[in-house]
Amino acid sequence: MSEILGHLAGGLVNAVQPLNFVMIVAGLTIGIVAGALPGITMLNAIVLVLPFTYLMGIVPALLLMIGVYCGGVFGGSITGILFNIPGDPMNVPTTWEGYRLNRKGQGRYALGLAIMSSAFGGLVSALFLAFLAPPFARFALSFSTVEFFSIVIFGLASVSVLGQSSMVAALISLFAGMFLGTVGTEAQYGVERFAFNVPFLKTGIDFVTVLIGLFAIGEVLDQLAASSPAPAPVSKSSALPRLPLLGLWPLRWPLLRGTAVGIAVGGLAGAGATVSSFVSYGLEKQMSKQPELFGTGHAGGLVASESSVNGSTGGAMIHLLTLGIPGSAATAVMMGAFLIHGIQPGPLLFTKQPVEVYTIISGMILANLLMIALGFVAALSFAALMKVPAPILNTFIVVFCFLGAYALRNDLADVWLTMLFGVLGFFMRRYDLPIPPLVMGIILGPMAEQYFLTSMVANQNDLTVFVTRPVSAVVLLLSAVMVLWPVVTTWRVRRGAARVA
Amino acid sequence: MRWLPAVAPLLGLAGAAVLYWQARGLDQVVSGAQLGPGFWPRLALIGLALACVAKLGSVAASPDAPVRAGSPHVPPIEAEAPLAISGARLTAAIAAILLYVLAAPALGFPLATAAFIAAFLWLCGMRSVRAISAIALVGTVSLLYLFVKLVYLPLPKGDGPFEPLTLALYRFLRIF
Repeated sequence: MSEILGHLAGGLVNAVQPLNFVMIVAGLTIGIVAGALPGITMLNAIVLVLPFTYLMGIVPALLLMIGVYCGGVFGGSITGILFNIPGDPMNVPTTWEGYRLNRKGQGRYALGLAIMSSAFGGLVSALFLAFLAPPFARFALSFSTVEFFSIVIFGLASVSVLGQSSMVAALISLFAGMFLGTVGTEAQYGVERFAFNVPFLKTGIDFVTVLIGLFAIGEVLDQLAASSPAPAPVSKSSALPRLPLLGLWPLRWPLLRGTAVGIAVGGLAGAGATVSSFVSYGLEKQMSKQPELFGTGHAGGLVASESSVNGSTGGAMIHLLTLGIPGSAATAVMMGAFLIHGIQPGPLLFTKQPVEVYTIISGMILANLLMIALGFVAALSFAALMKVPAPILNTFIVVFCFLGAYALRNDLADVWLTMLFGVLGFFMRRYDLPIPPLVMGIILGPMAEQYFLTSMVANQNDLTVFVTRPVSAVVLLLSAVMVLWPVVTTWRVRRGAARVA
Repeated sequence: MRWLPAVAPLLGLAGAAVLYWQARGLDQVVSGAQLGPGFWPRLALIGLALACVAKLGSVAASPDAPVRAGSPHVPPIEAEAPLAISGARLTAAIAAILLYVLAAPALGFPLATAAFIAAFLWLCGMRSVRAISAIALVGTVSLLYLFVKLVYLPLPKGDGPFEPLTLALYRFLRIF
């Protein structure tokens, strides 16, 4: 404990160094603004700042990205509460309650609740990361490729089941992503797969090009293709938030439950803030004494979903820092930043580079504290920022996507891929095919393949090794439950409907 | 068009079949019962095909009322049905984006970007020539300062006469 406190104190000293501090503030600002702007997700923002980190050291680079991450997951709540336009899918549950509160004349209260509960969730999850990541890392050192494979499968299972659309649509998306992840030269045998003699395909499809294309370009095309403009937001006289410092006490249980769900779900590889916000909102509704008030402006629902969104950030970072497995698309981009700087995240990171790791964790704690002030300022000024005309916004999103993709390898082939995935993203939206499972398939699929084949070679092709090792067996069992649960639920709903009919 | 939801799974199924056929020679590098480099893609393609078949089945069973799986506790998202597509604008937007990528190596990043910004702004509904020109100019110059001067990104300079033009612009802006 004292060792961790010492590391944290040292990390905090490093985090408040001018460059590092500026990066946190800049990241938070970019994240809040980007998260709040519909069409630019937190993930887009992290991807867009990636080229700027190439010339930085790993610590300021990661602090910038963590600032964007923490600010980005919160930012969408502002526009959700004020204008009923969630900046990100993860802010949808907050919007359900926050916008209703706003309509009741309690917009300032709702904004204040969102800021405080986000900061609380993020702070607790960062502390959780600081104190429990090292033992988790030590535990992780005992894992073999068998356990890693099971964990990756759990991530794939959780994303496919909790996709935005039907389970079948999510599975189509997931398997398509897993297939795309196999394109290129295979690592174990050096065999070219599905490259069709196209030179740039031989090195595989970089998942960052997929992310940029599907999310950013797809969204721009979606907005541009709409034959009629989106409805104008409701203008509010005042966006000055009222920070309910003591007002949070009656909401302590939703706050704590939301934070706990955020950390737990965020800690699952492949889940993330969107999943945690929906799960915590649903859980809160289940546990509430007034479930009928949900959807009418219930402060508990807002606090639970908002705290879980930021609570998921620390959980997602545990996977990245201790196992080297990105727990979400955002941390996958951060993993890219680590690799660009020649650092391999994983179990040895805490022993080999403790200064860097604890500076990053301290920066995360600091970012969540600073978010109270910056969230307040952002809420104040956002009405003006929302006036940036959509044509300018959409145009520059495309140009930044060009630059972001090109900067990966200074190769226009990546730009082509990005734009083609953008078109694919548009059609996926229109055909109700969820995008997150495809992204996780292309990220986690190659990992799963590598761990699976290595496990098979090490265990003489004995498939039972996945169920005879206890951790692997438990994780695979949980994965099966996650996959089967919605099937059972759907079956019960259908049976109930049939009985009523 | 009741058949429209079946298009994507049909395409997925056909694609999976073709690619599965393509994957048949991948395991030649391994011998015996060892799993080769073709195993994982085949697994993904089988999964894709099965999911597409399931989707086709659900479309055939209830084409007008797709059943959504997931938590029954979460209320449905408020009516946010996709807006009707303007095919002409969509085609023009995709064409503009693809032309931009095509033109960048030939014209050089600055010229291609300025032209793209102007065209895309117009496509997005902006009609003021002054505003479009100003945004294209200031936007392109700002991006050049950011990515060439600060990030040292070797952006495409163009072919033939456009390369010296780009270099002259860089010198004029003192970023080269």
